[in-house]
Amino acid sequence: MNKSDSKPVPPRWATRLLHWYCAPHLLEEVQGDLEEEFEYQVQHAGLRKARLDYARNIVEFIKPFAIKRKTSSTPDPLLNMDMYKHYFTVAARNLVLHKSFSAINIVGLALGMTCCLVIFLWIKDEKSIDNFHKHGNKLYNVYETVNHNNVITGSYATTIRYPEGRLQIPIADVKQAVPEVEGIAFYATGYELPWGYPETFQFGDKAYKFEGSRASEDFFKMFSYDILAGDGNTALKDLSSIAISRKMAEMFFGTPEKAMGKTLRYENKIDFVVTAVFENVTSLSSMKFEFLLNWESQMTRLGWASNIARTTLQIKEGADLGTVETKINRFVQAQLDPNDPRKVSLGLQLFHDQYLVDNFINGKPKGGRIKFVNIYSGVGVFILIIACINFMNLATARSAKRAKEVGVRKVVGSSRESLIGQFFGESMVLSFLALLLSLALLHLLLPAFNAFTSKNISSPVSEPIYWIVMLCLMLFTGLVAGSYPALFLSSLKPVKILKGTLRFSTRAIWIRRGLAGFQFVISIVLIIVAIVISQQTSYVQNTHLGYERENLIYMRIEGELMNAGNERKNYSKYIQFKNMALRMPGIAMVDRSSEAPHAMSFVVDEHDGLMETNGDDAIQWEGKEKESGIGFKPMSVGFDFLKTLDLKVVEGRGFSRAFATDSTDAFMVNEEAVKQMGMKDPIGKWISAWNKKGHIIGILKDYHTHSLHEPIKPLILDVKEYEYFGVMIIRTEPGKTKEALASLEKVYKEVNPNYPFAFQFVDQEYEKLYSNEQVITKLSNASAVLAIMISCLGLLGLVMFAAEQRTKEFGIRKVLGATVTNIVSLLSKDFLKLVLVSFCIAAPIGGYCMYEWLQRFAFRIDLSWWIFAFAGGTALLIAFLTICAQAFQSAVANPVQSLRSE
Amino acid sequence: MVAILDGDAYGVNIMHEIMQQTDRSLRLNQVHASLHRLEEKGMITSKMGEPTSARGGRRKRMFTITVYGRQTLKHIQHLRENLWNMMPSSMKPIAGV
Repeated sequence: MNKSDSKPVPPRWATRLLHWYCAPHLLEEVQGDLEEEFEYQVQHAGLRKARLDYARNIVEFIKPFAIKRKTSSTPDPLLNMDMYKHYFTVAARNLVLHKSFSAINIVGLALGMTCCLVIFLWIKDEKSIDNFHKHGNKLYNVYETVNHNNVITGSYATTIRYPEGRLQIPIADVKQAVPEVEGIAFYATGYELPWGYPETFQFGDKAYKFEGSRASEDFFKMFSYDILAGDGNTALKDLSSIAISRKMAEMFFGTPEKAMGKTLRYENKIDFVVTAVFENVTSLSSMKFEFLLNWESQMTRLGWASNIARTTLQIKEGADLGTVETKINRFVQAQLDPNDPRKVSLGLQLFHDQYLVDNFINGKPKGGRIKFVNIYSGVGVFILIIACINFMNLATARSAKRAKEVGVRKVVGSSRESLIGQFFGESMVLSFLALLLSLALLHLLLPAFNAFTSKNISSPVSEPIYWIVMLCLMLFTGLVAGSYPALFLSSLKPVKILKGTLRFSTRAIWIRRGLAGFQFVISIVLIIVAIVISQQTSYVQNTHLGYERENLIYMRIEGELMNAGNERKNYSKYIQFKNMALRMPGIAMVDRSSEAPHAMSFVVDEHDGLMETNGDDAIQWEGKEKESGIGFKPMSVGFDFLKTLDLKVVEGRGFSRAFATDSTDAFMVNEEAVKQMGMKDPIGKWISAWNKKGHIIGILKDYHTHSLHEPIKPLILDVKEYEYFGVMIIRTEPGKTKEALASLEKVYKEVNPNYPFAFQFVDQEYEKLYSNEQVITKLSNASAVLAIMISCLGLLGLVMFAAEQRTKEFGIRKVLGATVTNIVSLLSKDFLKLVLVSFCIAAPIGGYCMYEWLQRFAFRIDLSWWIFAFAGGTALLIAFLTICAQAFQSAVANPVQSLRSE
Repeated sequence: MVAILDGDAYGVNIMHEIMQQTDRSLRLNQVHASLHRLEEKGMITSKMGEPTSARGGRRKRMFTITVYGRQTLKHIQHLRENLWNMMPSSMKPIAGV
């Protein structure tokens, strides 16, 4: 046979095909024969023919006898049931034998998993909000980016303008101008969503309050809210139409069907006809409303309440968003005043994103709730990792004992793969048990979790995705947790193990220490976070706001109470109510203010009020420069307002009935306003709000008119004794709240019989402003406790391991006269050092995170050293106790026991 | 054929032998399939031979005839002879051609 350098080879693809189909036990001979024949052909018929023949041969070999696998009598190692059974037995025995170890393992893993599951459910819930609309992928919110003197802000406000004193919405006709726009819906919002306060509806002698909003004609066409009765497409078409929820329909009329066509009286002012009943809005919708009024009706018949209306567009599928945006902008710009210093441009954001991404940075939507979602996903994963690390540490700690088993198995002939399989299997069993436990925990915890996040999360047992996630979680935990012991233990050399000289390399020890250190870094960071957040929250709740918020009630002024009473001013219903209430027990003071004192959100800047003042700014003052851009909070009050709230006057005097001019000419401002206006000697200077001009008579000490997230804003106060809108503020006598409420109700029923009696406590409402922070406080406390618990379990594992490794050493030391203290300190020194090092890493991280978080508050606590000291101290103390418990045990052990063997 | 190639019977070898002796064209897969069937029937047995360098180190499956196989061969031979003998002698030369 001539052996040339390039030996002819058969076509490779054919060989590969053969390998693929041919039964393994036949492959060798078949391929051998084929190749021999190929070489024979090369010599007799040439290479080309040989290759062709070879390929043909291979194709011809595709026959049942060649494909059929042999059912062998020698067991395939991958399917050996006996061996698996044996693994399970060993796993079960190990579980039972080391009860405390197994308990620590399973509990630790279960805690981590529960945490992970809860967070997973929460995130799933957050992401599912607003996800139910059929046209969801075509709905876009319009947002407004305003560039004013190079200060760029963004919001969902709909651009409006007032040509010749009439209100106009430039984007209203966009449907005709831009063909890609299929629909446009306005959804009006008040100062707060949905409208800021409940409104009263009457039918016959029934009167209830509901919170709802106003929406334009296409609303139900674009958004998928279930319509129970009536036609959604035409529901909001007429001026007098109203769509109500099932709940509202049932309260007034019994059933949704009966509600159709009935007339509801709104605020004792206008009648609306029910044109549709929709299913109660679920918690999955970010827009919450019990009723929707016709939008035009609000604008033409009820008056414009605020310009915070959201515009949602339905864009044709497949349309290029950038083009549509440009077209819309071109359309709207054409209608805007080119000389306006405020440059407005519009942008589109997917409606579904608005719930999670509701913050504006540089005029574009960015951040918002999505931040929390991301942070908590991170926390969840971290806690799970901590738990896994734990498992790894504990398993390696035990490996000294398992090592002998591994040695014997290897000697008997176990392959490394099957050992790895065994250990992974064991960790799977453990993670399965942990999963069961965590499911049980989850069911116990969910009601509590729902209560403080005010969500309605249930564990979706019927959804397959849930089980898939569970399975993934179990596999992931099992794999991660079991990886180190499986790979490490299986790599041990049997000779070394069985000789009894098992030493762990310093690298392995460092890895484990590193892992434990990492756990402590996370735990300490979480402790710092928890402390700062709860400190800040309690600071916010207990700080003195500048007014007395205890024993303060407020009620909306509505119905009869709003009527000024014309000439007989003193006999108006409001005065009547005030006088009657003041005579009743438990009530100290009654006065009015245009907004509730704890959350004044009405701010005017210089471009508001153009309509009322024919182009002049709303707020003006002596020495004002143009374009100052200061946002004022104007407020109109009664004479007793200062006394009722217990506000301090720093300069000048408060409002008084003794001065006849006070109701027409007097203004008060706060210190911040003086500072921002840049006034010197403000008393006596003139100032004007809208068309009312007057003089400053006094300066109020700064007090908080809204949540502490924001700095104190300039405030401007005047007395409008005979205008009755806004809220009544009632100061009750301390300890007599019940009597006061009874009195108020009685008087209210008498004076304003058509309206249900409704009231709020200022202190309670104030706390509601921080409900987000309260939730975070609870969550961060829980996760800090969880993390430190899990870390300590891990530390315990390490100490146990160290103690076990050094049993003999301690025995000898004790024999030679070491005391218990000596040995305990010997063991704990290293680990405490570890905690200290983790503290040094964790403190700056935690400090930085919290510094960032505190930036959200205009009023915040200092990050003082004691917070870090306390966090470090706690971690150290808990770690020390954990270590001591184990160290003490091995220190008091009888040396005879440990030295006897061998 | 396995019996003829006593001790040196394996796939390619058998095929070439058959082709030479009978002048019939034959494919390797047919040979393998037949061998496989015969083995299943128990007429031949096989074992893997020693690896040689000629086939890239792959072993050959060497086939040998079993007692049962040999009996069957004899039986067939016998049957054919009987049938041949039963034929009238006038037919023989024609059929032989």
